[in-house]
Amino acid sequence: MRHSTSGRRLGWATADAVVIVAALLPVAWILSLSVKTEAALKQNTLWPSEVTLDNYRGIFQTSLFTRALVNSIGIAVLSTLVSVVLASMAAYAIARLDFPGTRLLVGASLTIAIFPQISLISPIFNIWRAVHLYDTWPGLILPYLTFSLPLAIYTLSAFFREIPWELEQAAQMDGATPFQAFRKVMAPLAAPGVFTTAILVFIFAWNDFLFAISLTSTDSARTVPAALAFFSGASEFQQPTGSIAAAAMVVTVPIIIMVLTFQRRIVAGLTAGAVKG
Amino acid sequence: MRSGERGSAWRCVLLLVLAVAALAGPLSCGGGSAGPPTVSFYIFHEPSGAFERGAERCSRLSNGRYHIRISELPSTADGQRQQLVRRLAASDPSIDILGMDVVWTAEFAEAGWLRSVPAGLREAVSRGTLGPALRTATWRGTLQALPYNTNTQLLWYRRDLVPSPPATWAQMIDMGTRLEEQGRPGRVEIQGAQYEALTVWFNSLVASAGGRILDDAGRSALDHTATEAAEVMRLLARSPAADPSLSNQHEDDNRLAFETGRAAFELNYPFIYPSARTNAPELFRNLAWALYPSMVAGRPSHVTIGGINLGVSAFSPHPDVAFAAALCLRDADNQRFAAVHGGLPPTLSALYDDPDLRREYPFADTIREALATASVRPLTPAYTNVSLEIQSALAPPSGIQPQRILGDLRTSIGNALNSQGLVP
Amino acid sequence: MPRRQELTGRARAERRLALILCAPAVLVMAAVTAYPIVYALWLSLQRYDLRFPNRSAFVGLENYLTVVASSRWWQAVANTVIITVVSVTIELVLGMLVALVMHRTIFGRGAVRTNVLVPYGIITVVAAFSWRFAWTPVTGYLVRWLHLSTDPLTSHGTSLAIIILAEVWKTTPFMSLLLLAGLALVPEELMEAARVDGASAWQRFVRITLPLMKPAILVAVLFRVMDAFRVFDDIFVLTGGANQTQSVSILGYDQLFVGLNLGIGSAVSVLIFLIVALIGLVFIRGFGAAAPGAGTRR
Repeated sequence: MRHSTSGRRLGWATADAVVIVAALLPVAWILSLSVKTEAALKQNTLWPSEVTLDNYRGIFQTSLFTRALVNSIGIAVLSTLVSVVLASMAAYAIARLDFPGTRLLVGASLTIAIFPQISLISPIFNIWRAVHLYDTWPGLILPYLTFSLPLAIYTLSAFFREIPWELEQAAQMDGATPFQAFRKVMAPLAAPGVFTTAILVFIFAWNDFLFAISLTSTDSARTVPAALAFFSGASEFQQPTGSIAAAAMVVTVPIIIMVLTFQRRIVAGLTAGAVKG
Repeated sequence: MRSGERGSAWRCVLLLVLAVAALAGPLSCGGGSAGPPTVSFYIFHEPSGAFERGAERCSRLSNGRYHIRISELPSTADGQRQQLVRRLAASDPSIDILGMDVVWTAEFAEAGWLRSVPAGLREAVSRGTLGPALRTATWRGTLQALPYNTNTQLLWYRRDLVPSPPATWAQMIDMGTRLEEQGRPGRVEIQGAQYEALTVWFNSLVASAGGRILDDAGRSALDHTATEAAEVMRLLARSPAADPSLSNQHEDDNRLAFETGRAAFELNYPFIYPSARTNAPELFRNLAWALYPSMVAGRPSHVTIGGINLGVSAFSPHPDVAFAAALCLRDADNQRFAAVHGGLPPTLSALYDDPDLRREYPFADTIREALATASVRPLTPAYTNVSLEIQSALAPPSGIQPQRILGDLRTSIGNALNSQGLVP
Repeated sequence: MPRRQELTGRARAERRLALILCAPAVLVMAAVTAYPIVYALWLSLQRYDLRFPNRSAFVGLENYLTVVASSRWWQAVANTVIITVVSVTIELVLGMLVALVMHRTIFGRGAVRTNVLVPYGIITVVAAFSWRFAWTPVTGYLVRWLHLSTDPLTSHGTSLAIIILAEVWKTTPFMSLLLLAGLALVPEELMEAARVDGASAWQRFVRITLPLMKPAILVAVLFRVMDAFRVFDDIFVLTGGANQTQSVSILGYDQLFVGLNLGIGSAVSVLIFLIVALIGLVFIRGFGAAAPGAGTRR
């Protein structure tokens, strides 16, 4: 405590401020673009001289955006739930059970994780059309599961390896039923890992652009990143800068709320894999 | 306990399958109801709603013969082409009418994705339609598509800085340079980024100098005019009249730059006119227009034609109604509405005399004059590759080496025509 | 003997349970990717241009030879290597600094962590769009702040620099969070003991912190290198590959979706995959980075 002189406090405050400004500057700029008037776009100032909400009003009046927002939320949430369930099962097996397929499973999921997605788009498109998954929610959820599972399994198995599973037996010896042992002892221990993984998967599904634009064609499944490419300016050649910026802010809000709420858990999850490997 | 674990695992799987099935059910079915056949029309989103209005009007006029449903494509040409090609390559029967950029017609026709216009309809399509627009829709001597709307660049300039418009590129660069040297805005705004507009610029210059990029047999026909065109591009790029952002500019960057008042000239499409009226009213009062500058004094320029052709997919389950619908979509009433409200110049020549259109387009005569002598970009199924090679050879314009450009382009266009090597 | 049998019985049951638990994940991954991956490999051995379907033929390794004989491929490889090496190096240094701030700062730790996560969570395309407008003279504030007379996105060097900037901004948080976890592993008593022995802050960092963090650093760098090598979104939005700024992924995308040449495009994809796999192997075998899943089981 005697170290925390005012000089040190000032130093850390500066460091904190630098990090925060660097992290937020581009976001502030999009916010500024989203509230600028069409005529003010050519003022190259960071802050707008007058603020308009026209761009927001504009995008919320189109079903292009509102439907895309519903699709984005629904698809990301469902992908997250299913991915976490499947990954938890596999990760439990990898972390806790002795079986010969571990290396094969890890190798296969790594292959999937690093195979260039662009080359898989066309064949997936053809299959999806044949099995009527094209332009549906499951048609996007399945690829999102596939490409988030490697990371999810990896993160969760790292987490599960750290859990002192002996506690489960200890609790049962103390007279708890298996369900009580799971609910009171194991679930709280596993929760941070599951939770973090969920957030990682959500961000992945929320961000995806390539699959979204390739595997949808109408507003029955088109997500926001894909819908951005459909925005148009005042005419064919004009850039829909304001609308894109406004839509970008809207889809950034859930991310910001999430990191605000779960900051501690995300940090724990992102780091789980790295340390223990 | 072990069996309990296994049971719960299976229950999870079961729930999952059920969840996926429940979702897939309602979403993947749909349609299939009785009524007139649905003609699906894939076209980019047009902000004024002219396309939707046209589709509704034609559906109504068809008296129950068909119903047109619009499916929107992304806003960029590249995005549109990728969506269309992905479906056509998979023989997707869900497209009936495709809104194609004029340069894709040969490519789509050669790949077997288009149904050529039936002999009985050709007269109805070509009557009163601008010649260059028809040429973009023709491949191997057959009409493959219906010209929908067209577009072309004009020279926009500021009357307060330039009393009379330049006739040639050399004059324009000279005037711009002198204005800049006097400390007044003299920039020439044009699209210099490495994308399709760079090919448009090059094609306009080559055609205006009397040459062309490919001959009728689809072989490279580049000659000294290519060198001259390259020299002009380089001359502008290295002159004080060039925008510092030239090699990253698209149409909309030019519009914004011109509206800020830093430029005296702008080579761009008519969409800049209503925008200037709203966003730069001061400047708008001095906004004037002229034909695209020529390469040779005393000879007209041949500016590149753009626009959209309507094609009927080879995989359409009901091509007859699709052609009927396409013909209606491009009729005079729909074209007039799209021109007046959406700023899309019509392909029907007579509409340029329409009073509504002339009120919205004081420059209607100049556009028609430009279109009458317009040049067409190379007609070849390998157009995209050819265009990418041209863009790659000319970007950035300030780095062009005119004495080498002819040899470079002949080699790379030769490769592109044979679909050899990597596209840039 | 009976005891041994019981053990194998249990082992077999455990094995069965493991397979059941893994099956759904494996099935989903296989359903979506098995056929497409095999199909991509098969396509890479064909001459197959979508526009000239009747010229298709099996050509063996010809597409690969075309790709490696092309100067465009090597230009893309060079760009990708530059972007990867420079951005990961900067990210490592910055990430370490940010991690130290998050680890050591005496107040505002939560605020810093929260804000650092914003770049991580934001949609890449959206962030790239923000950078593009910021660096465009007519609209951008950064051009004005730095008094640039030219457009930085119009030349090769500065374009690459901005691509690297966008990558660094977006992914430094990821790096710093991985490193933060490594920092947490450094025992406080050890640092205190070193301080008592008179070691300077720099000495403590180099002699104690870095060696203890080596596994975390290696894994963080491995993840980022494999990811950076496939850089796509930022370039797609910022330059579209103009001014010779194509990465290998952009090049592959252009062959497939612009050139419609599925044979050559698939060959490029397979080559990218092989390079990324090779990078992973080098890290794991050469530097001893922990292979995912290779850790000891309890």
